[in-house]
Order: sequence, then C-alpha cells, then structure tokens
Amino acid sequence: MRPLVSRRAVGWILAVLTTVVVIANQEQVGIARDEMVYMGAGDHYADWWGAYVTSLGGTISRPEVTSRAAITRTFGGPQVTDNNCEHPPLIKTLFGISHRLLHDRLGVNELTAYRLPSALLHGLLVLLVFSMVLELWGFGEAVVSALLVVFLPRALFHAGLACFDAPMMTLWFATIYTYWRCLDGRKWPWQVGVVFGLALATKHNALLLPFALGVHYLIAGFREGGLKGMVVFRWRVIVSLAVLGPLTLIAVWPWLWFDAYSHVKDWLAFHMTHVHYNFEYLGTNWNAPRFPWHVALVTTLFTVPVATLGAAVLGAGVWIANRRHGRGRTRAPGLLLVLSVVASMGPFFLGTTPIFGAEKHWMPALPSICIAAGVGTMWAARTLASFVHQQAVARRLVLGLVGGLVVGAAAVETVTAQPYALSWYNALAGGAPGGADLGMNRQFWGVAAAGTFPVLRAKVPPSLPVYSHDASPAWGFYGKLGELPRSLPDAGGEQAGISRSELAIVIHERHFNRHDYMIWNTYGMVQPIFVLRAHGVPIVSVYQRPRSPAAGKQP
Amino acid sequence: MAELRGSRLAALPATVLVVVALWEIIATRQQAAAVPADDAWASAAAVVRVGHRPGDLIVFAPDWADPIGRLHLGDLIPVEMAARMDAARYGRIWELSIRGAHAKDVTGLVPTEERDVGGVAVRRYDRAPAVVLADVREVLSTARSTGGGPRVELAEVGFEPHRCVVVVPPASKPVRITFPRLALGSELVGYVGIADVFTRRDDREPGTLSVEIAGAVVATVTAGIDAGWVRYQVPTTPGVAEVTFVISSASPRRQMCFAAETRR
Repeated sequence: MRPLVSRRAVGWILAVLTTVVVIANQEQVGIARDEMVYMGAGDHYADWWGAYVTSLGGTISRPEVTSRAAITRTFGGPQVTDNNCEHPPLIKTLFGISHRLLHDRLGVNELTAYRLPSALLHGLLVLLVFSMVLELWGFGEAVVSALLVVFLPRALFHAGLACFDAPMMTLWFATIYTYWRCLDGRKWPWQVGVVFGLALATKHNALLLPFALGVHYLIAGFREGGLKGMVVFRWRVIVSLAVLGPLTLIAVWPWLWFDAYSHVKDWLAFHMTHVHYNFEYLGTNWNAPRFPWHVALVTTLFTVPVATLGAAVLGAGVWIANRRHGRGRTRAPGLLLVLSVVASMGPFFLGTTPIFGAEKHWMPALPSICIAAGVGTMWAARTLASFVHQQAVARRLVLGLVGGLVVGAAAVETVTAQPYALSWYNALAGGAPGGADLGMNRQFWGVAAAGTFPVLRAKVPPSLPVYSHDASPAWGFYGKLGELPRSLPDAGGEQAGISRSELAIVIHERHFNRHDYMIWNTYGMVQPIFVLRAHGVPIVSVYQRPRSPAAGKQP
Repeated sequence: MAELRGSRLAALPATVLVVVALWEIIATRQQAAAVPADDAWASAAAVVRVGHRPGDLIVFAPDWADPIGRLHLGDLIPVEMAARMDAARYGRIWELSIRGAHAKDVTGLVPTEERDVGGVAVRRYDRAPAVVLADVREVLSTARSTGGGPRVELAEVGFEPHRCVVVVPPASKPVRITFPRLALGSELVGYVGIADVFTRRDDREPGTLSVEIAGAVVATVTAGIDAGWVRYQVPTTPGVAEVTFVISSASPRRQMCFAAETRR
C-alpha cells in the first residue's frame, strides 16, 4: 500500500507544525529585555534595505542610501554598541522585515510579527535534522530526532523570542548539514560557504564552527587519502568556507562595506571583553571568572529531558559500535555531530567564558544530542521488538510504544516548562522546585513580569506609577500592545523609581534581592501583595505602597 | 551494538530507557505540584497567628520560599526584623518550612512545637534570648569618625538583608569609628561584609574590620567578595569602654557594612 505522504513530506509537515507550535507558545511568553534592542535595530535595518532596494529602481538616489554617513546612521556609530553593531544583523533584519510586512501591512500582532522569523527558522531546524537523519539512519530515527528537537523545553522557549540564540542553533546546524552534503564531491560546493556566512551574520559563536569543521575535514581526509587526503580530500569545500563565508557576511552587513577590518575588530573585541553578568549556578552567584569547568555539562544535564539524554547515550554507543559499517562512513557524520557539540560547548570549559545565559549559548549542541537520541531510541525500540517474534504488527507496536514514550517524556517536560521555561529544570533536577533547591539560575531578561499584569491591572484607576524592575525596557511596548494601561506608567529605575512608585515588582534572581530590600526600606514593610510562581517557585513579587490609592483593591 | 540486538544483554539498556521515560513522565507532573499551594501556606500562617506574640521571629525555609512566607505573614515581620544582624536576641522563633529544609537561624535548636499543615512544617523554637546592652547601629550618633561617611542602612550583603553601618573607606586609608563610652557585657558579637553585588563584581578587593577596646586590638576580620556576612565574637569585661571599629580596603569603592552588639 502506498503511504499517504512521502517520507520527505513528513519532514516538511513536522517543520510547519513546529513553527505553529512555537508561534502559539510565544503568545504566552513575556518580552525579553534584549528583544527590545533587537526589534528596534531590526526596524532600522529593514528600512535601510527597503530604501536600498528602492534605490536600485532609481526612485531614490543610491548614494543617499549607501553613503558612509547613511550606513553609519543605521548600522553603526562612534560607540561600540551604537545601533547594536556589536551583533551582526541578519536575524535582526529579518525581525524588522517581518514586522514591516506582517504587522504594518497585514495587521498581524506586532510582537508575533517580530518573532516569526525565529519560529520559521526553528521549523527549518526540524526539517534539516529530519532530512539528515532520514538519509543516514532511517525514517523512524528521523521522526524521533525531529520530535525531540521540537520538545526541548528551553529551546522551544528561545525559538519564540526575537533574539539570536535559537536562530543561531538553526544556522549552526544548517552549516553542519550543508558541509556534510557538500563533502559528496560536488564541483561547486558554494552552499556551505553561503550558509556559513549566514551563520556568521547571525551570531558570533559561528566563529567556533571552523574548529568542528576543520578537525572533521582533517580526519575524514586522512581516512580517505592519508596525509595528502588531509589537504586535497574536498578542497573546494574549504575554499567555499574561506571565501564565500566572509563574503556573505559582508554582503548582508553594510557596516562592513567600509572600514571592514576596524569594524570586525570592534565586533569581536566586544565579545572577547564582555562584562560578566550575574548568574546563579549550584547555589553560588557567579559574576567573575574563574567559573566552574562543568557549567555546560551540568546545565545540559538539567535542562534537556532525561529520556532524551538517556537515548542520546545509547545513540552514541550505536555510532561507536557502527563506526566502521555505517552509511556514509567516508563523510563520518557521527564524528561531525560530536565535533559540533565539542565546538559549541568547548569554550565553557575554559572557566573564563561568560556563563550568563547558560544553555542558550551552547544550544547549537542540541541537534546533535537529539539526533543521537533518535538513533538510540530506535535502537532500543528495535532491540525490544526483536523479542516479539510472532507478528509484524506487534513489533510495530513495540517500536511505536518505545518511540512514543521517549518523545512523550520530552513532550511532558516541554508542556510543563512553559511559559516560564527559564525557571524550569528537568525531572532529574526535580523540576522547577528541584532547580531552586539546587541553587540553579531562576530566570533572566525579565520575561516573567507579564505574569503579574492581571494583578497590576486590577489596581487601576487611578494612575499608579510602577517600579518595573528588569521589565523596564519593555514596559512601554507592553502598553503599546494593550497589555498594560497608561495608568500604570513606569516609575523609573533603581531607588529614584522605587521612591516615585505606588506599586513595585521584583523579578527574582539572586542578585536582584537588593531590589526587594530597597522596596522594603522605601515602603516600610516586607509583605508583597502577590507572588507569581512557577510550580511553586517564586519568580516575581508585587509590592504595594502602604496607604496607596490602590489599597483595598483585590486582583 | 547492532549485533547485540536480540540478545538479553541488549535488552537491559533498552529497558532502562523505557523505564526512565515512564518515570520522567510521572515525576515531571508530580514535581510540578510538589510545592504546597497558597491554601496550605494560609493554613500554616493561621497556626502561627494563633500562637504569635509581639517580637517573635518568623523565618522560612528554604531561602527561595521566603517571598511566599512574607506574602502570608509579612505583616508580622517588621523591616528591622527581616534585616536583623542575627537571631540571637529572639527568644521565640517560628519556622515555616517546606521540602525538609531548615532556616540557618534555628541551627542547633530543638522545636518545642511542630505541626505539618498541608506540607508546610510549622515549628516553634523557644530559647533564652541574648540580652543586648548596646547596638552600635543605634548609638552611631555618639561615635566619632575619621571619614568614610558612616550611616545606618538596609544593605544587601551576601544576598541577604542587613541593617548595618555602611562605610566607604578611602583606598588604603583606614576609617576609625570610635564609640567613646560603649556599655560592655561579657561578649561583643559582630558581623561584617561587603554591600552591593555590582561593586563586588566590578572590584574584587576584600575589606578588613578591626575592633579595638581601650586601644587594644581584640579582633581583626577580613571580608572577601564572596564571604557574605562574616561573624566574629570577642569576650569582654563588663563595664564601659572606648570601642573603635577600624575599616579599611585597598579599593576606593568598597562599601563595608558592619554591625555589632555587646551582650550581657
């Protein structure tokens, strides 16, 4: 009997479903403070590209758009963070274009319009994972691997933000995938260079990719042709990476169209000397090196579903056992995926790389883990099915049951985690409460503030200035979206804002305890009127000044 | 491993994976509901209110449950109490605890009353409180200072609230704060730490506090960046004496925070 859809079509269906899931999920997620910066920059970039395209048609003068001054006004400036030039522009430009098209022209919700490119790229990631696994390990492995990517609680959360990290995961894996495809001996492997350039134009950790690709190339080349093979194995791929990668980066980043050396130097120097934000890990607030060497390992252990990790261990075992027999051995796909993990996580073993943001900074490692998990799950399923001798139907049932349990466990973790996924930890850690017991980071970016809005809205009228804490950068945008009335204006920052406020929120992170104390001191009391919790763990407190006009109004 | 398929040995890791997945599905939902909800906290708070006397200390454990505890009983916790130097002056302590945790304020104490209220353990501890003869925070106005702008503030020290004397000594130039006639008992107990997480991050120099009684150094304590609220204790001879606190740091931005009580 012919299947209703082809196996390849299943990958597309999963990709579309993933995008829909991400879009639906992000509607429950508040605004991350960094999104405000990236969305604003994205609008500028998109407008510039709009003007550039128009200038190609001659409607406006091209020098007006491409002059040094015009580009600087949009993409740079004298300071290292002007127009957010410390980050490359690709994904921000897509945020801006999506906003201009979907919101300004079609009326789509403004925040969703900004976030749509991230969601689409997450769908693309699922498609790429599915495609690679289908070719190398089979249909069952492909479906399970793809679904395990979808059901990564933290990754799903990040994929719904107008930020860099989830898109970077996609572009990183896209580079891995196209590199692997381009090792097939094609004459013009331009694809890998272009995709690598797009990754570079997304986030600076793409600069780690050559470590994975370079080591893989040397080993695969040696296997193929000894010492000579390490050079000539697929030399066009290396040329493509070395030439088309940087050219693509320059093409999409007008800031590099002049003084390229200086601007690249500034970009990288910013990240090499980045300030260390506060981050709680195993009960200690870390804000200066040396950081523990095991941050990436332990955090991954606690933020990827346990069954996925267990299946990945089995999958790695399958790779090792089959290393001499697997499909596409010449291109050593298992080794490539392992090197992808090593390159992505490696810097965090040094003890000097900033650890704020935790898993989001090494999320490019996750597709490899999910692929290994897909392979491991299906190996386990087939192993158990081999004990069912009687019927093919029974064997299929076992296959489905085992695959469904592993995917189901990841799905349950993912559903449980939302919408405060940054406070969530897996069952091994004991969930959000277990993470709090272990002293793992509670959250960042002020996203959870949105959960207190029903309480705040119930307090008006009259107009009540709110000390909005870490949600301050997004406060005005919440108002624009209609989630906060004008009668709840931002009172301002730090002590001056608290002194002016009638209501105050504190987003609970260990280093933010000081804001609780500033409020106690100013309001003369320690009792909040509401504590927002994620599975019982406090994430935001709301205070009301005694004798405030809001007193007596219940949410 | 492909060759292993069909062997009993291979069935073991495969079965373990199935068991782990099943366990994760169940455990995830259980853990998500494991922390007592507001009704349990409200019932526990009601138990405390029945037995509460003015001046009783109320603490919560684990630390991360503190906002929930204050939501339900914060009206019985004055700012001074929340920002206490330590718990020694409190004769009755109520502890509301979840997940088997204990507050550090009750370390070594045995509860005189204990109840489980919907998963919230309510414990009362009774003990003889320390009798405080003088608190340097309360008599700061009587002190002479050689600089550093000493003032009493509610500061964050080691991520805890402490009302303390904050001093910012010039770099490598110690500040002397002298109480000319401080009532002494049998001991002087104090704490010192570095306030403000952001200056602690940006400037890693420690700070030092020395205590002089009648011109003799009786204690020297160094507070490092991550040391938190560092305790010291010295025996004293009952009476009245000149007591000087000498605060120094190599950093010009060091917000040193100290408190001390003389006790009978």
